[in-house]
Amino acid sequence: MKKLIRLILKLVRTAVIAGVVGFVLTFTIYMTNAENKLIYDYVRPFLTKHYDKQARDRRI
Amino acid sequence: MHDLKYTLYFETLLEEPCNELVKQALEEGDIALGYNCYYIPETLLNLPGCFSSRLRAPNCSATPIGDYYLTNRNCPYTRAILERAVEGSYNYLSSLFGAEACSAMERMEEHFEQIAPVKHEPFVTTIIDAPLKSDQAALTYYRNELRDKVVAKVRELGVDTSDDALRAAIDDHNEVSRIITEIGDFRKLDNPPVTGYEFHLIQLVSEVCPHRLILPYLRETLEEIKARKPDATPAFRARVVLCGSEIDDPEFTKLLEFCGALVVADRYCFGSVPSREQIEILEGETPFEAITRHYLQTNLCARFMSEEKIDQRTDVLEALVKEYKADGVIVESMKFCEFWSYEKVLASHILSRERDIPTCQIEKDYTLTGAGQLRTRFQAFVEGLEIKKLEAAGKGVRS
Amino acid sequence: MKKEIISFIDQKLQKYDPVWMAENGAGGQRTRYRDDGSGIARYREWRGVEDTFQDYVSWLKNVGYMGAMVAKDPVKIMKGIWEYRWMGSFLGSFAFVDRIFEGYRGRELDIANIHGNAIVRILTLRIGLILHNDARLGGGEMTDKMIGLDETIPPLFTAGFPTLNAEPMQTMPEFVVCDVDQHLDPYYIDVAESYGLAPDVCSRCSAETGVAIDDAFPVFGKLVLSTNQPCNASEATSMFQRRRFHQKGIEDYPFVFAMQHNTKNGNDYSKEELRQAIQKIEEVYGVKYDWDALFKAAKNMNHQNRIELEKWEIFATPYSPLSGISESLYKLVEWALVNGHDAYFNEVDDKVIEILRQAVRDQYLPYKGKTRHRAFLWGPSAMYYTDFPTWTQNCWGINIVLNMDSTMGHNMINTEDPEQALTDLALFSEKGVMRHHAVGGWDNVNAVWEWAKRLNCDMVICNDNVACKGMNGVHALLEEQAEAFGFHFLFLPHDLEDCRTIPRAEIRKAVNDYMSIVMGEEPLDPTLVDFDDAEAW
Repeated sequence: MKKLIRLILKLVRTAVIAGVVGFVLTFTIYMTNAENKLIYDYVRPFLTKHYDKQARDRRI
Repeated sequence: MHDLKYTLYFETLLEEPCNELVKQALEEGDIALGYNCYYIPETLLNLPGCFSSRLRAPNCSATPIGDYYLTNRNCPYTRAILERAVEGSYNYLSSLFGAEACSAMERMEEHFEQIAPVKHEPFVTTIIDAPLKSDQAALTYYRNELRDKVVAKVRELGVDTSDDALRAAIDDHNEVSRIITEIGDFRKLDNPPVTGYEFHLIQLVSEVCPHRLILPYLRETLEEIKARKPDATPAFRARVVLCGSEIDDPEFTKLLEFCGALVVADRYCFGSVPSREQIEILEGETPFEAITRHYLQTNLCARFMSEEKIDQRTDVLEALVKEYKADGVIVESMKFCEFWSYEKVLASHILSRERDIPTCQIEKDYTLTGAGQLRTRFQAFVEGLEIKKLEAAGKGVRS
Repeated sequence: MKKEIISFIDQKLQKYDPVWMAENGAGGQRTRYRDDGSGIARYREWRGVEDTFQDYVSWLKNVGYMGAMVAKDPVKIMKGIWEYRWMGSFLGSFAFVDRIFEGYRGRELDIANIHGNAIVRILTLRIGLILHNDARLGGGEMTDKMIGLDETIPPLFTAGFPTLNAEPMQTMPEFVVCDVDQHLDPYYIDVAESYGLAPDVCSRCSAETGVAIDDAFPVFGKLVLSTNQPCNASEATSMFQRRRFHQKGIEDYPFVFAMQHNTKNGNDYSKEELRQAIQKIEEVYGVKYDWDALFKAAKNMNHQNRIELEKWEIFATPYSPLSGISESLYKLVEWALVNGHDAYFNEVDDKVIEILRQAVRDQYLPYKGKTRHRAFLWGPSAMYYTDFPTWTQNCWGINIVLNMDSTMGHNMINTEDPEQALTDLALFSEKGVMRHHAVGGWDNVNAVWEWAKRLNCDMVICNDNVACKGMNGVHALLEEQAEAFGFHFLFLPHDLEDCRTIPRAEIRKAVNDYMSIVMGEEPLDPTLVDFDDAEAW
């Protein structure tokens, strides 16, 4: 029984820690606007370069 | 070639919408019914006691009022028509029968109702909804619209719209068309006795003058052309089909011909293709049904969306090139014209890439403001056609 | 206790709240942005504890929707991003949501985020479905069971084909993505113009043409229904697009509607066209039309429209926390894309109407009571400046109460008799996006004054799409009538989907000039008057 309670507590603790870490992480990303900065400064320029090099079947 | 007897007279008739023959018909008790677009069958307006008047805005060099109402980013033809309406050029009309063929045209026609520029009593404006396909449902819709918004209104103006009257209108249409087609057919000859400019004049007067009054001049002109001797050496270096939107200024054709290209076929709004084909009454059809079927079938407007109509547009051009032995096609679009902007690109692509017909695309204003640029384009195109012919001749192949 | 803590934190952190900053001369909304014209904020908006947390949760939900889309078929999604330039533009979605709801607080923010989540949910579902079944990317189980629809055809009638899936062709590659990234469509416009298309045609249609020429439409289905809606250039671009569809082995069928949609002749014609379009789909896909399936979706649509009619009553009061882009973007997606096909949107409507009813009961004044003018936004809006209504509210206190395109088809559809249902559907479908009031006759466009009066507006802002020949054609008459009816009135120049012709800054300038010179007013947030967002998505 004790083992079970310990396991549940462990799970709860892990969930709480994961929740807190998850919250801190995602909230930090959210508040610092990190995902938009990453996409704007790095991802999109990389993709645009790729799109500009693409050979497309252009015709009417 | 010497000038045709009536060249100058026809030019004069095209100087003003309310020309000498229009005035004469009005004095004789006829009423004038205005329209702008091929979707409105001219034949329905040429009944006993009335005549059709396709609206042009000759010599309209500036359109401040048109710009005010429609903005200067809109179709210059519609701005010019509205300008002339406000100036009083159409005060002889009893009606404007419009078609919602394009937004610009529709808005311009609405202004005939909203600001009542035409000072004539009575004056009615109606706008039909023009179908975009030519199947049975579209034909039914077209007929309903014409019945309710054109024929019914013409009747309200005191005109006989009976089957007999419509049959007489078809006869009248067929007679005008027969003469113009016969004149136009001379352009198929290697050295035609009629120029594109002259033909343009003839076609235009047939659209803006009462038929019963212009017919004697057309008949006489036909006889004159039959007997006319063309110059031994043609003045033209290439033969072209002219295709596009509203081209109602013969000076444009003249400009083109000055550059060395004879316009052998006119496939544009105000041109004879379509408009001068014979109307047949099929078995079981009423004259109204025959007219409406004919106009929907022959209509080559760039706005039709159904496959058979899209194909018809380029097929007709290709057929004209063959029939009139043209060296190339000039596809014109008017500034701010949505339909012809697209059609110009598409038709040029299909003709030049898929059917091997040299094509030149141009964009122009309603008036000939950009004549210098156009001249350069035309000259280059004509030279290109000449080179192509020479190359083909060198290889022993006719282009 | 919780309240006190929140209040304490709010007080401590209020100096970071842009609304407070603007009120206290300490900056404003633009203070937190980078000054490189990128439109990227250094940090997200601090809206107070409750609203920031609410917005954060909403952001998390959006992350979840996007994650779910990728998780379902990661390979196709990645292939899609690699293949299609427009897919790259969708990466700007997070910034887009932030931008359109900037400055929102309280119940405005509650509704905005409910709507925002619904929009992200449906778009991710649809993008996922399209890419999963895109034959170019390998295809899927639905590839041959999809019908391509022109995006301006209301898809409700396709509910009668429950085993098929109708998807708008242009919505993802060109239309809605222009809301997200203003710089995408100019690329496609340039492609079209490089083939000779005139630059003065409608930029939306020009962009669609460019997508066709650039071979950037996803490939699915056996049939595409093209259409004449809403106007001339749409008809014309269809003729280009059909060629590309044919090259891909997809048949096209022009499904046209009467342009004049207030007449019996017109309605009869549209009904016949609808009947024929159904027959065409039956023939091509070998399936029978299922009226019960249609009725089920029509009930959803009727439910949506009943709520819509109630919303309009609430919009007429000063208490509606739903207005501006929160209203119009949701309505556009719900009407034009969902159109009765997804009952989830009925749940969203139920939730939102409850908030609205409560707001009226509480006599709640939205935007902290800072609204100075109630404006009706007429004419098709600039797709590349979706957050314009948000800006007018934040900068000048102009509340865009309703937008022309939010008045689309709202007649009820009969859910028992197929014949009557077709009649109702024809009328409903004719009153589509950019269509209901912009074309089809003078009475349609002139209805603006009735709408403005009905919603107690003192101002009409008329979108002046420079390439829209139909709306250009009513310029002077509208201006003259505005004066006669006593409305504050201004034209808002834009080029629909081409941000280069009239950039966002110039659109703002038109309002700034009017508000400062004609109205003699001061901005609520001076940082918003003039700023650089030329390089922003």
